[in-house]
Amino acid sequence: MTGRERVLAMMDHRSVDRIPFMPITMMFAADQIGVKYGKYVTDHQVLVEAQIRTAERFDIDQVSCISDPAREAGDLGAEVRFFEDQPPAFDESDALLRDKKALVELRIPDPLGGGRMTDRVKAAALLKEKVAGDRIVEGWIEGPCAQAANLRGINRLMLDFIDDPVFVRDLFDFVVAMELSFAQAQKDAGVELMGVGDAALSLAGPAIFNQMIMPAHKKLVEGMKAMGLRTRSHMCGNTRRILKGRGELGYDIEDMDSMVPLADAHAQMPNHVILGNIATVDVMRNGTTQDVVNAVTKCHQDAGELYIIGAGCEVPRDTPEAHMLALLEFARSHRPGDLQPLQVHPGSGPAVSMQNP
Amino acid sequence: MSNLTDLYDAILMGDTKKAHSATQAAIEEGVGPMDLISGSMVPAMDEVGRLFEAEEYFVPELLLAGRAMKSAMELLRPLMVSSGQKLGTRVVIGTVKGDLHDIGKNIVASMLEGGGLEVIDLGADVAPERFVSAVKEREPQVVCMSALLTVTMPAMRTTIEALKSAGVRDRVKVLIGGAPVTSQYAIEIGADGYSENASGAVGLVKRLISEE
Repeated sequence: MTGRERVLAMMDHRSVDRIPFMPITMMFAADQIGVKYGKYVTDHQVLVEAQIRTAERFDIDQVSCISDPAREAGDLGAEVRFFEDQPPAFDESDALLRDKKALVELRIPDPLGGGRMTDRVKAAALLKEKVAGDRIVEGWIEGPCAQAANLRGINRLMLDFIDDPVFVRDLFDFVVAMELSFAQAQKDAGVELMGVGDAALSLAGPAIFNQMIMPAHKKLVEGMKAMGLRTRSHMCGNTRRILKGRGELGYDIEDMDSMVPLADAHAQMPNHVILGNIATVDVMRNGTTQDVVNAVTKCHQDAGELYIIGAGCEVPRDTPEAHMLALLEFARSHRPGDLQPLQVHPGSGPAVSMQNP
Repeated sequence: MSNLTDLYDAILMGDTKKAHSATQAAIEEGVGPMDLISGSMVPAMDEVGRLFEAEEYFVPELLLAGRAMKSAMELLRPLMVSSGQKLGTRVVIGTVKGDLHDIGKNIVASMLEGGGLEVIDLGADVAPERFVSAVKEREPQVVCMSALLTVTMPAMRTTIEALKSAGVRDRVKVLIGGAPVTSQYAIEIGADGYSENASGAVGLVKRLISEE
């Protein structure tokens, strides 16, 4: 099976030759080709080269457009601070919607209008052209809570949930419409799988998630499904208390942060594809290769038969290559749900060396 | 002493108006600022921290409680200044240079303030020199640093080095925290402590100060 076939089969709950391998790589990917991250987030050709080289080096089943949370907000006019070698970020004191009244003036930016959204659409098209059917091409958009936080400021948004829920719903409506427009543009460029990152919602708790955030995510998923997109949800932080709700959103892949016990995730959403969730800093970056093997073995045991290997979030910069290769070796030597290793590794690909560089 | 209970309840419920009015009423009844702090505010924020750890409260409730507590402090602070009363421990806190993420730092700052400590919040993207200046000028007992990104964590080490170079490292305890930060990293860079959450940070500060 190609990586693309493997991921599609897993999402369709069909049999696969071995466990898919879909870690999020961003700064790690930039480092693979020796470019500063500031270049990676502003030049789609650099991102594409880094993604392809990283996917080839570690036989990752996807290539992804993910880079940073500031593309849509920047095109809307938000102040974005760029750094030479780390992700762009927002200064909350200058948030675009520090005055709530500004929401009515916002207009959805054209994803093909020449801004950083367009740069991502170009990345999608180039990835599609270069990887053909070998690996699945993943687009990326911000989830409703994360994007609302980018625009309003996360501290303000957390208070708005209680002070002014009507405003938050209006903001979510705007964000969902904008993200669907961005998703459509990436789909048209060749994306088959859309990743949705929501780095903020785990802070809000179950009640606010159920009442306000869930409806926005559902609307987003329904819109993407209507486009024919497959979907992956990555929610940062501890979402253990909202796992049941996550399972009702309709995403094809539920990508878990390392704070979530995968046994809990599997128990709460037994029919879902679960991706994750090796601890990024303690294990992936700072652990030993044996720690990585132990962690992925535990994930595989806990996640059930619909399991995809990945880290709990972005694979951190300075993660030893041996740790990525250990995950690849595990993926190649196991079928989902079968705890015994395969005798012969399926598929082809570069020989795996487990030696630390 | 119904106003003490009212203030406790108002902070717990994150009701800023009620916290303000209960504090005003208590002042008019002659309740002293330190009695309000130790009798209502600290216990209320302790309970908020407990509920947060128990996953009954989340960040919105925590920020609301902090806002209510601050509205009470705004009324008490002038009275404390005029009567020469001071909070026991002064803490300087900030997110390190290059890192604009501040919600974790804000939560810790609120919890420290709610724990009866004086907090000087330097904000986000704080250069080492600003930490050094704050230590020289405000004479805190504790410096707290936060980082959310692995790429900004090294600024914690740089800041500690700057405190050493300025000859003020021994004047303060240095605590660090943030999603990628670990206790091992605290040891590596020569910090005095690490906490993985806001409630733990309050206890750690108090313990380190009591050990001096």
